[in-house]
Amino acid sequence: MPGPNALLFLLIGVTIIVIAMVVIRPSLTMTREGKMLAFVGFCVLPILCGTLGASEHFERSKQTSFCLSCHIMEPWGKSLNVDDPAYIPAAHFQNHRIPADEACYTCHTNYAMYGSFKVKLNGLHHVYVNYFGKPMNPIHLYEPFNNRECLHCHEGARSFQSVTHVAMMDVLKANQLSCVSSGCHDTIHNTAGQDKVKFWSPAP
Amino acid sequence: MKFKAMGMSKILRVSGILLILGLAIEAVSLMFNHPLSFMGFIIVGGALLAIGVLLFLHSLVEIAQANTGSAQK
Repeated sequence: MPGPNALLFLLIGVTIIVIAMVVIRPSLTMTREGKMLAFVGFCVLPILCGTLGASEHFERSKQTSFCLSCHIMEPWGKSLNVDDPAYIPAAHFQNHRIPADEACYTCHTNYAMYGSFKVKLNGLHHVYVNYFGKPMNPIHLYEPFNNRECLHCHEGARSFQSVTHVAMMDVLKANQLSCVSSGCHDTIHNTAGQDKVKFWSPAP
Repeated sequence: MKFKAMGMSKILRVSGILLILGLAIEAVSLMFNHPLSFMGFIIVGGALLAIGVLLFLHSLVEIAQANTGSAQK
């Protein structure tokens, strides 16, 4: 069975053929059926193609390889392979605590309502700035990392139910104490110190 | 642009060419998984599709208005 991509290409092909028919022979639109064909070919099908194509592109933009395809993100990609379990992103990536092929998106999406949409708008802005603007130096988050993104997976997990975590749960939920910058899990990407660490390479 | 002066067939042709170009760009962009192809899809392909569809819809409105006008006469 053809995949969704093949069906999308097929739909685009059919749309181009319908439009070309009307462009080459405008007299087709003299009949009622011809008018309907023109409406479908010039309005319904292009909108459908655009919507499905955008959806496909948005799905692909979640991929780790997509985020790391910008040269500026190279050190952050490299940090996922640091051979040190104290590095939070590396430990999550290497042990598949997050989907390895959607590593950046999984932690840097916003798990609130419309979060996915907001993060994709930010992503569009990143692409724009990378090619047509001046990227911020050093790269930093728009706002401090929200504990909600950690608790989305960890809350309720057995490994997370330690006395310390349970005792400070309210503070963590209210973001009064950050999981990543409070002296607890504060080794994140640490791109500046990459010349002093060893790297893990997955078995082929 | 004077749509009435252009005639329906010419508007259809312009709209159709824009749509075909937009769809072709979208198809090519879908072959790559890269931020630039994403931008090409959204900005170039999306704009061409939007202009093509709007031009076609505008021509429909023009024709409907012309028909109403001639019926009143």
